[in-house]
Amino acid sequence: MAPLDLTAIFGVNGSYLVYIGIGFCFGFILESSGFGDSRKLAAQFYFSELRVLKVMFTAIVVAMLLVFWATALGLLDYDELMVKQTWLWPGIVGGLIMGVGFILGGYCPGTSLVSTATLKVDGMFFLLGHIVGVVAFGETVGYIYEFWNSGYMGRFLLPELLGLPTGVVVLLVVCMAIAMFLGFGWIQRLIYKRGDPQ
Amino acid sequence: MSAVFNLRVLGGGLLLAAAGALALHGQPDLEQKWAFMAPEYGARLENREVYIDPAELLHMMNDDYIDLVIYDVRDERDWNIFHLVDAERVSLDDLPAQRDRLRGLSELAVVVVVSNDEIRATQAWKRLMALAKPNAYILEGGLNHWLNIYGVLDEEYESHGTASLHKPDGTLRHPFKIALGARHAAAQPDEHHTPERIYTTKVKLLKKVARAGGCD
Repeated sequence: MAPLDLTAIFGVNGSYLVYIGIGFCFGFILESSGFGDSRKLAAQFYFSELRVLKVMFTAIVVAMLLVFWATALGLLDYDELMVKQTWLWPGIVGGLIMGVGFILGGYCPGTSLVSTATLKVDGMFFLLGHIVGVVAFGETVGYIYEFWNSGYMGRFLLPELLGLPTGVVVLLVVCMAIAMFLGFGWIQRLIYKRGDPQ
Repeated sequence: MSAVFNLRVLGGGLLLAAAGALALHGQPDLEQKWAFMAPEYGARLENREVYIDPAELLHMMNDDYIDLVIYDVRDERDWNIFHLVDAERVSLDDLPAQRDRLRGLSELAVVVVVSNDEIRATQAWKRLMALAKPNAYILEGGLNHWLNIYGVLDEEYESHGTASLHKPDGTLRHPFKIALGARHAAAQPDEHHTPERIYTTKVKLLKKVARAGGCD
């Protein structure tokens, strides 16, 4: 039953090869989908280009279905997957900061790495700023330690929040994603009188 | 354009169909999850690799380097009559609430499940494995066996003989005049004043203990 211990199966070097293979495929898809271009990323917020959003949410929905179908069939132990624990208040503030940073800089930390890989200067500067920010946070977190640890909720998931079975929540998320694709496409056509290039 | 549109409709339809089928199928509960895990973990039960001798549990109770968690899965009546010091009573149905705690246990943690015999403790062990795969063991022969070894005759409080361990039925086979809980002498026997017992060590820690020597 997955998750598998790749090091035990393939050895240390073998597992590195698997990681490189997965990383290559991941990077290839990100770059070819436009995740390394700050203009395409920022365009999502203005509804002028929805490719990144569609790729990202399709990936999220497909991964979610694969994870929970694999769990339902006994192929994967979902509880063994690392799920970030919830610290509600710092999570909300951090999300706001990241959202503002995303729309101002045109990248999130991950996409700035993709951009840097193709030697885009704005991506490099964003990444540099990211590193400086991480160091600054590490040096000052002591001053906000109580807030940083506030609102702890453990491994808190949507089914628990909504009080619904996991499968129903998965269905709702899929419906939400499809509704979002259709709705955002409608807004795009309304504002720009065109859809995404086919 | 039409072909692209049809592909989109097909993709969206497939996603919806897969999600709808998943909502109907549901996610496995602990029993189903154990059934999935049984081929991998069931052999530990069959080979009795996880059934530890009472002396091994007593040794761990006195080992400050081990983070010992003892789950007593008996009903409240038996718990009130007698239980081990530091044991926590958790019913089988309440075990899922322990998941976060189990996942946060250190590598020096050992979980031991106890019941009157091995029946309910074995059920609890399966649920624990389905919940979080902790480093968990079962008290061999249960508390009936424990009391056979460490139970003391004390006219003032209770009288003990040696209870039969054959044909276990989940009951506490030792008679108690009054409920003493963890105040019973056998709840935490002095390891150095109990008869030496030869047993096979079965507990394996996930991390090697760095024991301090000398004055530490």
